[in-house]
Amino acid sequence: MSIDTATPSAGNSGAASPQAKQPSPSAVTKEDIAKAGATRRRKSAQWKLVVGTICTLLVIIPIILANVLPLPDANFQDLAARRLPPLTDGHLFGTDQLGRDLLSRVLHGGQVSLTIGVLAVLVSGAIGVILGSAAGYFGGWVDTIISRILEAQMSLPLLMMLLLVVALFGPSIPVITFVIAIAQWPEVARLTRSMVLVEREKPYVSAARILGLHRLQILIQHIIPNVIKQATLVVLLLLAQAVLLESALSFLGAGPQRPFATWGRIISDGQDYITTSWWMVTLPGLVIVLMVVGVNLLGDGLRDRPRRKKKGA
Amino acid sequence: MTNYILKRLGQGLLTVFLTVSTVFILIRMAPGDPAVSYAGPLATSDQLAAVREQFGLDKPLLEQYWIFIQQLITGNLGQSYSFQAPAMQVVFERMPYTLTLATSAILLTAVVAIPLGVWMSRRPDTGREFGVNVLTIAGQSMPDFWTGIMLLTGFAVLVPIFPASGFATWGGLVLPTVTIAILQIALISRMVRREMTANFAAPYLTVARSRGVRSSLLTWRYAMGNSAIPVFTALGTRFAAMLNGVVVVEVVFAWPGVGSLIVRALETRDYPLIQATVLITALLAVGVQLLIDLAYPLLDPRVRLGKAATA
Repeated sequence: MSIDTATPSAGNSGAASPQAKQPSPSAVTKEDIAKAGATRRRKSAQWKLVVGTICTLLVIIPIILANVLPLPDANFQDLAARRLPPLTDGHLFGTDQLGRDLLSRVLHGGQVSLTIGVLAVLVSGAIGVILGSAAGYFGGWVDTIISRILEAQMSLPLLMMLLLVVALFGPSIPVITFVIAIAQWPEVARLTRSMVLVEREKPYVSAARILGLHRLQILIQHIIPNVIKQATLVVLLLLAQAVLLESALSFLGAGPQRPFATWGRIISDGQDYITTSWWMVTLPGLVIVLMVVGVNLLGDGLRDRPRRKKKGA
Repeated sequence: MTNYILKRLGQGLLTVFLTVSTVFILIRMAPGDPAVSYAGPLATSDQLAAVREQFGLDKPLLEQYWIFIQQLITGNLGQSYSFQAPAMQVVFERMPYTLTLATSAILLTAVVAIPLGVWMSRRPDTGREFGVNVLTIAGQSMPDFWTGIMLLTGFAVLVPIFPASGFATWGGLVLPTVTIAILQIALISRMVRREMTANFAAPYLTVARSRGVRSSLLTWRYAMGNSAIPVFTALGTRFAAMLNGVVVVEVVFAWPGVGSLIVRALETRDYPLIQATVLITALLAVGVQLLIDLAYPLLDPRVRLGKAATA
């Protein structure tokens, strides 16, 4: 019976609003409502939103404040204080093999990682929405070309190509941002395309066309605003992926070195000391996990959240 | 049918050709000189010139490209600079290792992720489902190199059950497989859940249930039958992606596969080796994709190849 309450969680049906509000007083008690699938769904969505926000902020706020917080310089080496365990001499995360404060390295590296992640997602989101909606709306040869490029890219060795470009053109922040954006745009484009395909058949589009609006104007003013909300949800999940991708590149030595080494690099530095100094790998990794879990939970929670606006309207 | 296969083969080969051509141009556009990394930092300019001549790097770009196309047709991409052996042969020697790892990882993923996804879709909005759901989110949020190092430390160093690196015994396969599978299980099981939930909500299932069809039949025959194509596609695509070398995991576990090979080839600017790796992996990826598409009619009799390839 639990199966009956199931609704597609893919976010493509707008009919997921809960009906727990007006029970018939004779049959349904408050406990029943509390146990109902819809109530639980709302609660778990709320839980995800709250916990996701907490996890994300727990990482992002210190990163933003890294320059203000009383931390040692991330690149300051103190060979007398090598590989101190966490919580000694004011080093909350301990120090690395060159006596650098690990927390400071993680936070400053995080600034670089996050900047790359956010920029990459903005770029890939823009490319994806523009090309995806063009493919969906105009169809014909525009669609053919864009869909072919999408297919070709999906079937290519992704990380290898990224690595190739970064290895060849140097691990600077613009190159890495660009590379991650290129890796991610197909996902946005495919989603936008499929949504625009549905949207363009709706009556308001025909109405706009009869009113004599230009096709481009219909697309930009009427269709894109209707799909952009769902597209932004995906972008949040892409941010999580972008951070992971950047850290993987950086782990393989294809991450930015200046001004600060990013997370993957810090972990690969600490790899050789894992048996004696567990914190050098474990703690930076936990920071990545905390942040990515947070962003993923947020994205999930936002998607599962029942839309209340429909009732109020 | 034959026409369809031929058309797809043609498209696939075109994709591969464009890919290797892009790579050919990219590596020659980029800064860095393979002769320097081959001859060493102390080489004189005469020695460097000799090395360039030996590798044919002193020729004009178009001529190099023409030679490259000839090599593509004959299937001999030249000598690897660093291995002193035919580049294709070097890649082929590494391929079985990557193939083994990818196969075992995808099998583990399928065996765990499909039942897990079905399990989640059958009890939505329960506490246990929620717990597993959060676990899968955690699974897809862990960077694989970090998981790898953690597993390595835990099960090869602190509690030495498995060998730490390489592929000397079958035990060496366990940790890399698990590392890859953690992420894949998280992704695939969530996808299985999504597909199954959509099917459980579909009217045809309500009708079947009202006719009194058994629950297990409803799940595995009805809902799974209709979820099979997207799930199979996802597994196949992931497998194809793994054949390209699970670069990160191979590096962590010093796995002698294609992934760690490409990292080394890039570091030494070993042009023939880079091109051979890209060629073979792109061919494999396109081939696997074609096989997936050809298998659709087996899973879903409604699919007619050539007409509804986008089903």
